[in-house]
Amino acid sequence: MRQHAGVLNRTWLLILGILALAGGVLTLLAANGTLHAMSPAMPAAESPVVTGDLHTVFEPAYVTAIVLVAGVLIGALGLSWILAQIPRRNPADTYRLHQDPASGTTLCDAAALASAVENQINTLPGVVGSSALLRGTAMEPDLTMKITVNNRADIQDVLHRINTTVIPDLSTALETPLRRTGIQIEISGRNALAGTTVATTGTVIY
Amino acid sequence: MNTAAAPAGSQDLEYRDLDSRGRTVLDRKVVEKIAGQVAGEESFAGGSSGGFLGIGAHSDFSVRPKVTVELAGNMAVLSVEIGLLYPVPLRQATEQLRRRISERVTALTGVEVRQVDITVSWLKPADEITGRRRLL
Repeated sequence: MRQHAGVLNRTWLLILGILALAGGVLTLLAANGTLHAMSPAMPAAESPVVTGDLHTVFEPAYVTAIVLVAGVLIGALGLSWILAQIPRRNPADTYRLHQDPASGTTLCDAAALASAVENQINTLPGVVGSSALLRGTAMEPDLTMKITVNNRADIQDVLHRINTTVIPDLSTALETPLRRTGIQIEISGRNALAGTTVATTGTVIY
Repeated sequence: MNTAAAPAGSQDLEYRDLDSRGRTVLDRKVVEKIAGQVAGEESFAGGSSGGFLGIGAHSDFSVRPKVTVELAGNMAVLSVEIGLLYPVPLRQATEQLRRRISERVTALTGVEVRQVDITVSWLKPADEITGRRRLL
Protein backbone atom coordinates (compact mmCIF):
# COMPACT_ATOMS: atom_id res chain seq x y z
CA MET A 1 0.00 0.00 0.00
CA ARG A 2 2.79 2.41 0.82
CA GLN A 3 5.43 3.72 -1.53
CA HIS A 4 9.16 3.69 -0.77
CA ALA A 5 11.99 5.88 -2.07
CA GLY A 6 13.45 3.12 -4.29
CA VAL A 7 14.44 5.21 -7.30
CA LEU A 8 15.95 7.97 -5.14
CA ASN A 9 18.00 5.39 -3.19
CA ARG A 10 19.29 3.69 -6.33
CA THR A 11 20.24 7.02 -7.94
CA TRP A 12 22.14 8.33 -4.93
CA LEU A 13 23.82 4.99 -4.22
CA LEU A 14 24.97 4.90 -7.87
CA ILE A 15 26.39 8.44 -7.63
CA LEU A 16 28.12 7.75 -4.28
CA GLY A 17 29.42 4.39 -5.60
CA ILE A 18 30.96 6.00 -8.67
CA LEU A 19 32.60 8.72 -6.52
CA ALA A 20 34.01 6.15 -4.08
CA LEU A 21 35.26 3.96 -6.94
CA ALA A 22 36.99 6.94 -8.60
CA GLY A 23 38.63 7.90 -5.26
CA GLY A 24 39.80 4.33 -4.69
CA VAL A 25 41.27 3.96 -8.18
CA LEU A 26 43.07 7.32 -7.83
CA THR A 27 44.56 6.30 -4.46
CA LEU A 28 45.66 2.94 -5.88
CA LEU A 29 47.31 4.57 -8.90
CA ALA A 30 49.09 7.13 -6.66
CA ALA A 31 50.28 4.37 -4.32
CA ASN A 32 51.90 2.16 -6.96
CA GLY A 33 53.49 5.07 -8.83
CA THR A 34 51.52 4.77 -12.09
CA LEU A 35 50.20 8.29 -11.62
CA HIS A 36 53.74 9.66 -11.29
CA ALA A 37 54.82 7.76 -14.39
CA MET A 38 51.92 9.22 -16.39
CA SER A 39 52.47 12.80 -15.26
CA PRO A 40 55.65 13.90 -13.40
CA ALA A 41 53.71 16.69 -11.61
CA MET A 42 51.89 14.07 -9.57
CA PRO A 43 53.45 12.80 -6.33
CA ALA A 44 55.67 9.73 -6.64
CA ALA A 45 54.99 6.48 -4.83
CA GLU A 46 56.02 6.36 -1.13
CA SER A 47 55.98 10.20 -0.92
CA PRO A 48 53.29 12.26 0.90
CA VAL A 49 50.42 13.37 -1.30
CA VAL A 50 49.83 16.64 0.51
CA THR A 51 52.94 18.77 0.59
CA GLY A 52 53.08 22.24 2.06
CA ASP A 53 51.55 23.68 5.21
CA LEU A 54 47.81 23.03 5.75
CA HIS A 55 47.64 25.69 8.45
CA THR A 56 48.22 28.47 5.94
CA VAL A 57 45.47 27.09 3.69
CA PHE A 58 42.86 27.10 6.45
CA GLU A 59 43.94 30.39 7.99
CA PRO A 60 41.68 32.85 6.06
CA ALA A 61 38.19 33.30 7.56
CA TYR A 62 36.41 32.65 4.24
CA VAL A 63 37.83 29.11 4.02
CA THR A 64 36.28 28.32 7.41
CA ALA A 65 32.98 29.75 6.20
CA ILE A 66 33.09 27.68 3.00
CA VAL A 67 33.83 24.49 4.93
CA LEU A 68 31.00 25.32 7.37
CA VAL A 69 28.46 25.97 4.60
CA ALA A 70 29.53 22.83 2.71
CA GLY A 71 29.17 20.78 5.90
CA VAL A 72 25.69 22.15 6.63
CA LEU A 73 24.68 21.52 2.99
CA ILE A 74 25.86 17.90 3.02
CA GLY A 75 24.17 17.41 6.41
CA ALA A 76 20.86 18.78 5.09
CA LEU A 77 21.06 16.54 2.00
CA GLY A 78 21.70 13.52 4.20
CA LEU A 79 18.80 14.42 6.48
CA SER A 80 16.41 14.85 3.55
CA TRP A 81 17.56 11.46 2.24
CA ILE A 82 16.74 9.87 5.60
CA LEU A 83 13.32 11.60 5.69
CA ALA A 84 12.59 10.32 2.17
CA GLN A 85 12.84 6.76 3.55
CA ILE A 86 9.55 7.16 5.44
CA PRO A 87 6.96 5.12 3.50
CA ARG A 88 4.21 7.27 2.04
CA ARG A 89 0.69 6.58 0.83
CA ASN A 90 0.71 9.32 -1.85
CA PRO A 91 -3.03 9.16 -2.53
CA ALA A 92 -4.60 10.98 -5.46
CA ASP A 93 -6.43 14.07 -4.27
CA THR A 94 -9.31 14.94 -6.60
CA TYR A 95 -9.88 13.69 -10.10
CA ARG A 96 -10.86 16.32 -12.65
CA LEU A 97 -13.30 14.79 -15.10
CA HIS A 98 -14.44 17.76 -17.19
CA GLN A 99 -13.60 18.23 -20.85
CA ASP A 100 -14.46 21.90 -21.18
CA PRO A 101 -14.01 23.92 -17.97
CA ALA A 102 -15.84 26.88 -19.56
CA SER A 103 -19.16 25.08 -19.18
CA GLY A 104 -18.35 23.95 -15.64
CA THR A 105 -15.96 21.70 -13.78
CA THR A 106 -16.55 18.13 -12.71
CA LEU A 107 -14.62 17.01 -9.66
CA CYS A 108 -14.64 13.61 -8.04
CA ASP A 109 -12.79 12.90 -4.84
CA ALA A 110 -10.53 9.87 -5.31
CA ALA A 111 -11.50 8.78 -1.79
CA ALA A 112 -15.16 8.53 -2.89
CA LEU A 113 -14.13 6.20 -5.73
CA ALA A 114 -11.93 4.22 -3.35
CA SER A 115 -14.77 3.78 -0.86
CA ALA A 116 -17.07 2.60 -3.67
CA VAL A 117 -14.43 0.00 -4.58
CA GLU A 118 -14.11 -1.01 -0.89
CA ASN A 119 -17.88 -1.43 -0.58
CA GLN A 120 -17.88 -3.65 -3.63
CA ILE A 121 -15.00 -5.79 -2.37
CA ASN A 122 -16.62 -6.16 1.06
CA THR A 123 -19.63 -7.89 -0.51
CA LEU A 124 -17.45 -10.66 -2.00
CA PRO A 125 -17.71 -14.02 -0.23
CA GLY A 126 -15.04 -14.56 2.42
CA VAL A 127 -13.85 -10.97 2.56
CA VAL A 128 -13.59 -9.58 6.10
CA GLY A 129 -12.39 -6.08 5.29
CA SER A 130 -10.60 -4.08 2.66
CA SER A 131 -8.98 -0.78 1.93
CA ALA A 132 -8.47 0.70 -1.51
CA LEU A 133 -6.22 3.53 -2.59
CA LEU A 134 -6.17 5.42 -5.88
CA ARG A 135 -3.11 7.11 -7.22
CA GLY A 136 -2.21 8.80 -10.48
CA THR A 137 -4.52 10.93 -12.58
CA ALA A 138 -8.05 10.48 -13.90
CA MET A 139 -6.62 9.45 -17.27
CA GLU A 140 -4.02 7.07 -15.81
CA PRO A 141 -5.34 5.76 -12.51
CA ASP A 142 -3.48 3.28 -10.31
CA LEU A 143 -5.46 1.14 -7.91
CA THR A 144 -3.98 -0.54 -4.85
CA MET A 145 -6.11 -2.77 -2.67
CA LYS A 146 -5.50 -4.47 0.65
CA ILE A 147 -7.99 -7.24 1.19
CA THR A 148 -8.43 -9.19 4.41
CA VAL A 149 -10.11 -12.56 3.90
CA ASN A 150 -11.02 -15.15 6.49
CA ASN A 151 -9.18 -18.43 6.73
CA ARG A 152 -11.78 -20.40 4.81
CA ALA A 153 -12.12 -18.06 1.85
CA ASP A 154 -11.37 -19.21 -1.69
CA ILE A 155 -8.62 -16.76 -2.63
CA GLN A 156 -8.64 -17.68 -6.32
CA ASP A 157 -12.37 -17.03 -6.41
CA VAL A 158 -11.93 -13.65 -4.70
CA LEU A 159 -9.19 -12.71 -7.18
CA HIS A 160 -11.33 -13.85 -10.09
CA ARG A 161 -14.28 -11.78 -8.90
CA ILE A 162 -12.04 -8.73 -8.43
CA ASN A 163 -10.66 -9.11 -11.94
CA THR A 164 -14.06 -9.64 -13.53
CA THR A 165 -16.25 -7.17 -11.59
CA VAL A 166 -14.40 -4.71 -9.33
CA ILE A 167 -11.69 -3.59 -11.74
CA PRO A 168 -13.94 -3.39 -14.85
CA ASP A 169 -16.50 -1.38 -12.82
CA LEU A 170 -13.88 1.19 -11.83
CA SER A 171 -12.71 1.36 -15.46
CA THR A 172 -16.31 1.97 -16.51
CA ALA A 173 -16.72 4.76 -13.96
CA LEU A 174 -13.51 6.49 -15.00
CA GLU A 175 -13.96 5.59 -18.69
CA THR A 176 -10.34 4.54 -18.98
CA PRO A 177 -8.46 1.29 -18.32
CA LEU A 178 -6.47 1.21 -15.09
CA ARG A 179 -2.76 1.67 -15.61
CA ARG A 180 -1.66 -0.50 -12.69
CA THR A 181 -3.44 -2.61 -10.15
CA GLY A 182 -1.98 -3.97 -6.95
CA ILE A 183 -3.66 -6.50 -4.66
CA GLN A 184 -2.39 -7.40 -1.20
CA ILE A 185 -4.19 -10.22 0.55
CA GLU A 186 -4.17 -10.84 4.28
CA ILE A 187 -5.71 -13.73 6.16
CA SER A 188 -7.66 -13.20 9.34
CA GLY A 189 -9.41 -15.50 11.78
CA ARG A 190 -12.40 -13.17 12.07
CA ASN A 191 -15.72 -13.91 10.45
CA ALA A 192 -16.87 -11.88 7.47
CA LEU A 193 -19.03 -8.95 8.53
CA ALA A 194 -21.40 -9.13 5.58
CA GLY A 195 -23.97 -11.87 5.38
CA THR A 196 -25.76 -11.71 8.73
CA THR A 197 -29.03 -11.12 6.91
CA VAL A 198 -30.14 -11.69 3.33
CA ALA A 199 -32.77 -9.95 1.26
CA THR A 200 -35.27 -12.67 0.54
CA THR A 201 -37.69 -12.87 -2.35
CA GLY A 202 -39.17 -16.23 -1.36
CA THR A 203 -42.86 -17.02 -1.02
CA VAL A 204 -44.43 -16.71 2.39
CA ILE A 205 -46.98 -19.43 3.13
CA TYR A 206 -49.57 -18.74 5.81
CA MET B 1 -44.46 56.99 -17.53
CA ASN B 2 -45.65 58.66 -20.67
CA THR B 3 -49.31 59.09 -19.71
CA ALA B 4 -49.57 62.20 -21.81
CA ALA B 5 -49.09 60.16 -24.98
CA ALA B 6 -51.35 57.36 -23.76
CA PRO B 7 -54.22 57.84 -26.19
CA ALA B 8 -51.77 57.84 -29.13
CA GLY B 9 -52.01 54.18 -30.07
CA SER B 10 -52.10 50.50 -29.17
CA GLN B 11 -48.31 50.26 -28.65
CA ASP B 12 -48.44 52.61 -25.68
CA LEU B 13 -51.36 50.73 -24.22
CA GLU B 14 -49.35 47.51 -24.31
CA TYR B 15 -46.43 49.22 -22.66
CA ARG B 16 -48.63 50.55 -19.90
CA ASP B 17 -50.17 47.13 -19.45
CA LEU B 18 -46.79 45.50 -19.03
CA ASP B 19 -45.78 48.05 -16.47
CA SER B 20 -48.97 47.82 -14.46
CA ARG B 21 -48.67 44.08 -14.06
CA GLY B 22 -46.04 44.42 -11.35
CA ARG B 23 -42.71 42.74 -10.97
CA THR B 24 -41.69 39.16 -10.47
CA VAL B 25 -38.67 38.71 -8.27
CA LEU B 26 -37.05 35.31 -8.08
CA ASP B 27 -35.03 34.51 -5.00
CA ARG B 28 -31.69 32.78 -5.38
CA LYS B 29 -33.02 29.90 -3.30
CA VAL B 30 -35.75 29.27 -5.86
CA VAL B 31 -33.17 28.71 -8.56
CA GLU B 32 -31.24 26.48 -6.14
CA LYS B 33 -34.26 24.33 -5.38
CA ILE B 34 -35.32 24.06 -9.02
CA ALA B 35 -31.82 23.01 -10.02
CA GLY B 36 -31.70 20.52 -7.13
CA GLN B 37 -35.04 19.07 -8.15
CA VAL B 38 -33.96 18.72 -11.78
CA ALA B 39 -30.74 16.99 -10.71
CA GLY B 40 -32.60 14.71 -8.30
CA GLU B 41 -35.03 13.62 -11.01
CA GLU B 42 -32.22 11.79 -12.79
CA SER B 43 -32.28 8.16 -11.76
CA PHE B 44 -28.52 7.92 -11.26
CA ALA B 45 -28.15 10.99 -9.02
CA GLY B 46 -28.83 11.59 -5.36
CA GLY B 47 -27.99 13.76 -2.39
CA SER B 48 -27.25 13.57 1.31
CA SER B 49 -29.73 14.00 4.12
CA GLY B 50 -29.79 14.19 7.89
CA GLY B 51 -26.82 14.72 10.15
CA PHE B 52 -25.72 17.72 12.11
CA LEU B 53 -23.10 20.10 10.66
CA GLY B 54 -22.31 17.51 8.03
CA ILE B 55 -21.67 14.78 10.61
CA GLY B 56 -23.79 11.67 10.36
CA ALA B 57 -25.40 12.59 7.03
CA HIS B 58 -26.35 9.61 4.95
CA SER B 59 -26.46 9.41 1.20
CA ASP B 60 -29.72 8.65 -0.52
CA PHE B 61 -30.89 8.50 -4.13
CA SER B 62 -34.30 9.91 -3.20
CA VAL B 63 -32.86 13.10 -1.70
CA ARG B 64 -32.43 16.32 -3.67
CA PRO B 65 -28.76 17.13 -4.31
CA LYS B 66 -27.41 20.30 -2.76
CA VAL B 67 -27.07 23.19 -5.19
CA THR B 68 -25.49 26.59 -4.63
CA VAL B 69 -26.22 29.39 -7.07
CA GLU B 70 -24.24 32.52 -7.72
CA LEU B 71 -26.34 35.07 -9.54
CA ALA B 72 -24.90 37.95 -11.52
CA GLY B 73 -27.71 39.85 -13.21
CA ASN B 74 -29.54 37.34 -15.35
CA MET B 75 -26.67 34.86 -15.39
CA ALA B 76 -26.12 32.06 -12.95
CA VAL B 77 -23.21 29.87 -11.96
CA LEU B 78 -24.36 26.67 -10.28
CA SER B 79 -22.38 24.36 -7.98
CA VAL B 80 -23.95 20.96 -7.52
CA GLU B 81 -22.84 18.48 -4.88
CA ILE B 82 -24.06 15.14 -5.97
CA GLY B 83 -23.89 11.42 -5.34
CA LEU B 84 -23.93 9.04 -8.28
CA LEU B 85 -24.78 5.47 -8.99
CA TYR B 86 -21.77 3.15 -9.16
CA PRO B 87 -20.70 2.12 -11.72
CA VAL B 88 -21.85 4.71 -14.25
CA PRO B 89 -19.43 6.42 -16.66
CA LEU B 90 -18.83 9.54 -14.58
CA ARG B 91 -17.91 11.86 -17.45
CA GLN B 92 -20.96 10.96 -19.53
CA ALA B 93 -23.34 11.04 -16.58
CA THR B 94 -22.17 14.42 -15.29
CA GLU B 95 -22.18 15.87 -18.81
CA GLN B 96 -25.77 14.71 -19.28
CA LEU B 97 -26.70 16.14 -15.90
CA ARG B 98 -25.04 19.46 -16.69
CA ARG B 99 -26.89 19.78 -19.99
CA ARG B 100 -30.20 18.89 -18.38
CA ILE B 101 -29.80 21.26 -15.43
CA SER B 102 -28.84 24.20 -17.62
CA GLU B 103 -31.68 23.52 -20.09
CA ARG B 104 -34.38 23.07 -17.46
CA VAL B 105 -33.29 25.95 -15.22
CA THR B 106 -33.19 28.30 -18.20
CA ALA B 107 -36.59 27.07 -19.39
CA LEU B 108 -38.26 27.30 -15.98
CA THR B 109 -36.77 30.51 -14.62
CA GLY B 110 -35.41 32.42 -17.60
CA VAL B 111 -32.04 32.69 -15.91
CA GLU B 112 -29.15 32.01 -18.26
CA VAL B 113 -26.97 29.23 -16.81
CA ARG B 114 -23.34 29.90 -17.62
CA GLN B 115 -21.57 27.16 -15.69
CA VAL B 116 -22.57 24.09 -13.76
CA ASP B 117 -19.77 22.89 -11.47
CA ILE B 118 -20.37 19.33 -10.33
CA THR B 119 -18.68 17.73 -7.33
CA VAL B 120 -19.23 14.01 -6.93
CA SER B 121 -19.25 13.41 -3.18
CA TRP B 122 -20.22 9.75 -3.00
CA LEU B 123 -20.73 6.72 -5.23
CA LYS B 124 -23.05 3.87 -4.34
CA PRO B 125 -24.49 0.82 -6.08
CA ALA B 126 -28.23 0.84 -6.69
CA ASP B 127 -29.16 -2.09 -4.47
CA GLU B 128 -26.84 -1.78 -1.57
CA ILE B 129 -27.13 -4.82 0.63
CA THR B 130 -25.00 -4.24 3.67
CA GLY B 131 -26.10 -7.49 5.24
CA ARG B 132 -27.55 -5.64 8.22
CA ARG B 133 -31.06 -4.53 8.79
CA ARG B 134 -31.61 -0.82 8.98
CA LEU B 135 -32.93 0.47 12.26
CA LEU B 136 -36.01 2.60 11.84
